Amino acid sequence: MSTPFYTPPDVLDVQALTLEQLAHACRMQPQWVVERVTTGVLQYDIADDDTPEEAPPTWRFSTHTVLRARRIAELERMFDADPQLAAMTADLLEEVRQLRRRLKG
Amino acid sequence: MEYKDYYKILGVAKDASADEIKKAYRKMARKYHPDISKEPDAALRMAEVNEANAVLSDPEKRKAYDQLGDPSQYAQSGAGHASGFQAPPGWDGQDFHFHHSSTDADNADYSSFFEELFGRGQRARRSGPPSDMRGQDQHSSIELEVPDSYSGGMRVLRLRGVRLDAQGHAVEDERELQVTIPKGVYEGQMIRLAGQGAPGYGKGQPGDLLLEVRFKDDKRWHAQGKDVYQQLPLAPWEAALGGPVEFNTLAGTLEINIPPGSQAGRKLRVKGKGLPSRTPGDLYLVIQIIVPPVFDDNQRKAYESLSKAFAGRNPRTGDAA
Repeated sequence: MSTPFYTPPDVLDVQALTLEQLAHACRMQPQWVVERVTTGVLQYDIADDDTPEEAPPTWRFSTHTVLRARRIAELERMFDADPQLAAMTADLLEEVRQLRRRLKG
Repeated sequence: MEYKDYYKILGVAKDASADEIKKAYRKMARKYHPDISKEPDAALRMAEVNEANAVLSDPEKRKAYDQLGDPSQYAQSGAGHASGFQAPPGWDGQDFHFHHSSTDADNADYSSFFEELFGRGQRARRSGPPSDMRGQDQHSSIELEVPDSYSGGMRVLRLRGVRLDAQGHAVEDERELQVTIPKGVYEGQMIRLAGQGAPGYGKGQPGDLLLEVRFKDDKRWHAQGKDVYQQLPLAPWEAALGGPVEFNTLAGTLEINIPPGSQAGRKLRVKGKGLPSRTPGDLYLVIQIIVPPVFDDNQRKAYESLSKAFAGRNPRTGDAA
């Protein structure tokens, strides 16, 4: 095993990833993200309002959205799930996690 | 490396139809999905199930896998390699094509067996030196305690993955990484370790490792965003009479002024003492009333006096409130 070494970390939060980076993190094509934003399944943090409509979107996504989007993408892949159903399941799973934690606390 | 019996993993027969494989995969995914499964090794089993499905649901990969023959020969003899399974001679010439795209190349969670047959190992031996391309970003999580965020510090991560040896064969790899935990990090954020993801292809740069921050459950405290909720245990008389008490909070020892008549569950806000940041969160001290046990006659008499003094008050009917 190699010797441990120090790596300076970089903390990501809001505006963490671009459209392409989010698609990559979800193992999906950018069009998958665009479709889910336009149908309200995913939300972006900011967009450059001056960007013409035909230009590639300049959306940025928070880490919260990245985690949620990865879960939605996984559910869609696993069960060939409808995106809205996958989003609802992902949100319920998160709520269950929070409630379980409260029960333990 | 260990031979993987993908049919056994999915619980299907060798001649299972594509539909049967899909159904078996979904059943297993429901059983082992780490978000709902109570199985202790759910994440590991889910990774195996995903890998089995990636091979058996792809006709080309399945055909190539089937040509390996009877799994028992690998399990018993470790054919071809002293340390276990290795792609048999002639494997590279089989009718299997490695499709590289941004969606199917993310094999970060797959075993060295998969990588040897269908991933980087197969590609390296088949096509020679690959064209330069950045490695995949890898996603994982890091579990911290809330106090870690107050103090910052170091944490050693153990990372498991697959790398190629000098001959282009995929081998299991384990390494340790010492990581700085930045002060004030909170749940839902991600820590990015540049260059610590999957290795690049050819002379390409390695990808990044992205760690989702999670806090361990603890009865004493929890965090919501940058705000922290910590239990503040009080004796009944401290809660009833109020006054200053000294308390070791996560933000250090503080003198807390308890309002008289405080009930259990009341939250006392200490502004700016949540998780540290340019705009720090708040610390909420949640009152918890602890009834001291009786050890001697004096203490018993004290409780009896209390009972007399409050005669007629019944907390079960709301009279004591």
